[in-house]
Amino acid sequence: MSFFARSPWILHYDGSSCNGCDIEVLACLTPLYDVERFGVINTGNPKHADLLLVTGSVNERNIEIIQNLYRQMPDPKVVVAVGACACSGGIFARAYNIQGGIDKVIPVDVYVPGCAARPESIIDGVVSGIAALEEKRKKTA
Amino acid sequence: MNPAVYGILFVVFAPVFGGLLAGVDRRVSARMQGRVGPPLLQPFYDVGKLFQKTTRQINPIAEPLLLAHVGYMAACGALLLGGTDLIFTAFIFALAALLLILAAGSANSPFSFTGAERELVVLLASEPFFILMMAAVCKVTGVSSFGAVLASTQLVAVQLPGVVLAFLLVATIKLRKSPFDISISHHPHQELVSGLTSDMSGRLLAYVELGHWYESALLCTFMVLLFNWSVPLGIAAFLVAYALEVLVDNATSRIKWQLLLRSTWVATFLLCGGNVLALFLLGR
Amino acid sequence: MSLPSLVAALVALPAVVGAILILITRTPLRNALVVIGGVAIAILAVATVISFGNTSGVFFGLPGGLAPGKALIAVEIALTIFVVVISLMNRRFLAPLLAVAQLGISLYLEIAGKMPEPDPSRLFWFDRLSLVMVLVVGLIGPLICINAIGYMRAYHRASPMIVGRRTVFFSLLFVFLAGMFGLVVSNYLPMMLVFWEITTICSFLLIGYTRTDETIGYAFRALNMNLLGGLGFGLAIVLLSNQPNGLDLAKLTAGPASAALLPAIALLAFAGITKSAQMPFSSWLIGAMYAPSPTSALLHSSTMVKAGVFLLLRLSPAMSGSTVGYLVAFVGMLTFLFASLTAVTEQNTKKVLAYSTIGSLGLIVGCAGIGTPELAWVGVMIIIFHALAKGLLFLVIGTIENRLYTKNMENFDALLSLMPRVSILFMIGIAGMFIAPFGVVIAKWTAIRAFLEVPGAAGAALILIMAFGSSLTIFYWGKLLIKVLSARRQTDYERSIESRVSRYEWITEGAMAVGVLLAAGGVGVISDQVVGPYALSAFSATPRVFLALDPVMLIVMLSTVLLLPFVALFSWLRPTYDHADFYASGRSANVGHVMGAALGGIKKVTLRNYYLDGVIDGALMFRAGTVACGAVLVAMVTAGMVVR
Repeated sequence: MSFFARSPWILHYDGSSCNGCDIEVLACLTPLYDVERFGVINTGNPKHADLLLVTGSVNERNIEIIQNLYRQMPDPKVVVAVGACACSGGIFARAYNIQGGIDKVIPVDVYVPGCAARPESIIDGVVSGIAALEEKRKKTA
Repeated sequence: MNPAVYGILFVVFAPVFGGLLAGVDRRVSARMQGRVGPPLLQPFYDVGKLFQKTTRQINPIAEPLLLAHVGYMAACGALLLGGTDLIFTAFIFALAALLLILAAGSANSPFSFTGAERELVVLLASEPFFILMMAAVCKVTGVSSFGAVLASTQLVAVQLPGVVLAFLLVATIKLRKSPFDISISHHPHQELVSGLTSDMSGRLLAYVELGHWYESALLCTFMVLLFNWSVPLGIAAFLVAYALEVLVDNATSRIKWQLLLRSTWVATFLLCGGNVLALFLLGR
Repeated sequence: MSLPSLVAALVALPAVVGAILILITRTPLRNALVVIGGVAIAILAVATVISFGNTSGVFFGLPGGLAPGKALIAVEIALTIFVVVISLMNRRFLAPLLAVAQLGISLYLEIAGKMPEPDPSRLFWFDRLSLVMVLVVGLIGPLICINAIGYMRAYHRASPMIVGRRTVFFSLLFVFLAGMFGLVVSNYLPMMLVFWEITTICSFLLIGYTRTDETIGYAFRALNMNLLGGLGFGLAIVLLSNQPNGLDLAKLTAGPASAALLPAIALLAFAGITKSAQMPFSSWLIGAMYAPSPTSALLHSSTMVKAGVFLLLRLSPAMSGSTVGYLVAFVGMLTFLFASLTAVTEQNTKKVLAYSTIGSLGLIVGCAGIGTPELAWVGVMIIIFHALAKGLLFLVIGTIENRLYTKNMENFDALLSLMPRVSILFMIGIAGMFIAPFGVVIAKWTAIRAFLEVPGAAGAALILIMAFGSSLTIFYWGKLLIKVLSARRQTDYERSIESRVSRYEWITEGAMAVGVLLAAGGVGVISDQVVGPYALSAFSATPRVFLALDPVMLIVMLSTVLLLPFVALFSWLRPTYDHADFYASGRSANVGHVMGAALGGIKKVTLRNYYLDGVIDGALMFRAGTVACGAVLVAMVTAGMVVR
């Protein structure tokens, strides 16, 4: 029996985000959407997390950080790119410091589009992420 | 029934009690915040998931230390119910708490280390109380084992009101409830990232949760010791106290360790010390 | 061989070895003699214990019924002249005053004919307490002396500016052992005083070993305080010379003291308090930490300070139940509390060990003052376990200090990686001090149970002090353990540190560690065969069980004996530290324990313990303890003089 579906813990990282998507992610924790009823906890610690939710894009400074956070997460793990910037760089894609979407530095499993992505989409993305998590667990089990 | 059987029952069922208590805690807290909250069995799902994750070992010494931590927490309860001397069990309780601190500090990383140091301050703040409580119970009842205290005609809580009040304060600390949750954060409160558990993953984290469940069950057992005229009454008293803790947790913000140490020692000294002094002066 | 001759050999052999050592200047010869002498002493000590067998106490005198009076005076004159000369050479005036005063008292008694004739067959007293002390001095003492061979070599290499006087150093260690042996078997008080002063002078000379201004200052402070105690001892002898059987320690302490004897008992207690560095006389022990570590191990934790509590334990039946006894107990317990409070704020590891020693001794003094069989049992158990564990700790600190060039515990970071085997020894020592079931914790547990029986506000106060004091000890030992147990990747140079530890240090420290473990495992046997019978006979009490251990408790206890060493061994066999992986807010951390910092810099990760600044002021606590205990001490002596 797998418990990942019942207890997916999230690490939320803000790359170069304008904070719009971040606020939407946090909104999921509020009473209106309340993802805790699915067992989701927003931990600040990669070692405790199953899903890495990234908002914002990759720039020069945070390449190493994103890679470190990803590396410090224990397996099985899943990456969810939230918002247009995380998916592809969004409207900032051509800026001089932006490298692009998160998939430039780490493997992404779920893309949640939107600018800002709506809480419903984010929750949907997390649910897809959980399914991907289950698949990975089965492969390595 | 042979007290040893009670001890074994504790080892088997205390995690169940602790886990359910944690689940109720999260549910009630969520309701207080206007949310629905996770299912009651959520803590068990969490621990189950943690066992299925891989474990990243920073310092390999952490794992045996954490296993020992869980082991001694369980042993403390088993010894207590099995009839061992009360004061001795207080020392074993302190040892179990220390092992968690050592496991956390061994990672030699900023957040874990600070969490470990703060947890050591928490231990310093709460330990005098437990020794005094056990000594006071022995003094009031004249006996020194759990079974004998329950069978005694002396009503502990009535003669030790100061100790009961101080217990509420110290239980807030041990249950890691705000305003005293300075060394470990239950998820959303991230002053030190995760404090003690910052560098623990997978099954190490699961052991910490298990240890915490045993600790909750132990605190309930201590409450039964204080309300010794009836076991259901003691458990009920503990649950009432726990409900108060949840309320306080949601209503207060974290204090600094200096204030924690000072206030707990002053409270222990005045409430417990005063109570013990009265006991001795009244010539019991 | 008979017991008296073995005891005579025990006192004579170290003295002879010490005398020979001062003539030998060639190092290999000296090392060989130290090892041979040490082993011989250990064998003699064991033989003495075996020959003692199972009686409750043996009295004997010098061969041919010789009276020691003249010899004692001669030795006293020699010691006084020595003190006067060396003090004047260093322009100190208090010490010669105290020494001359003491000599004056003895001479007055002799010349005025006031010194009664001692019973020639009762000059020496050997009972189970002497047995414990003989084993402690005779087994731990030689181990420390042999360890000192390796330690001093590294010490002088690390501090080339200190002039080496190892000839004198090793000679003094052995002369000191002779003094200790004489002290613990004496029944005739004037003779005990002479041995007492021999240990004082050895301590003084050993503290001043490095001859820097600072250490000379501390050495004289130790000398002054101990001479003051000796003066008290001398005044007690004056008072006792009027009493029948006053100078026979066994008869003096057979039961609660009569009103006529209390003043003398109070003065003897005063002497014991200064010797065991209780507050207000603790500063000499703290200052003694500037001496080389074997000195600290031998004199200032395992043996000499134990002479003070040994005397207090002897006096315990006489003080029991009296105001003097209660006040002595409070001097001890308040010392325990304030020393523990100060230890929490201290960074220098040797000073932490010193405060811990003062605290543990305070516990023994507390037990001796209240005076029940249970508490006497507790006191002797603490002596045994503290001597082993603290001796080990000082030796290990010495080894570490010579290799890492620091005593500051902040620099003991990741000791498990830097010096893995030494860390295991360190852990056994620390565990011996505060983890159940090692003796000190068993003793604390029994002490709390015994204090519950003390009536009135005194009992409540004692329990409160135990609760808060014990918690403080857990705090500072826990801090040290965290440092020792942490790990990191080390450089090649760091990997080689342990290879330079000498054979002498490995063997002696390993033997001490095994001793700690064996004593912890054998606590039941020690209690039943030695300490229990002693407590019963000292108080003429009905037989009772001192250590009630059910099988489950025994299993739990034995598991903790092995816990930390097993854990350490486990880690040592799997020495991978995932250095790049600790969480540092997403920054990477690499070898050498650095992490990437803001704006592209690199910063070293430094982790510093809490010393509770802002909550506990260490210096203030020490001063508060000194004042409080000083007041209680004055009250104690006054009570002894005045209360009838």
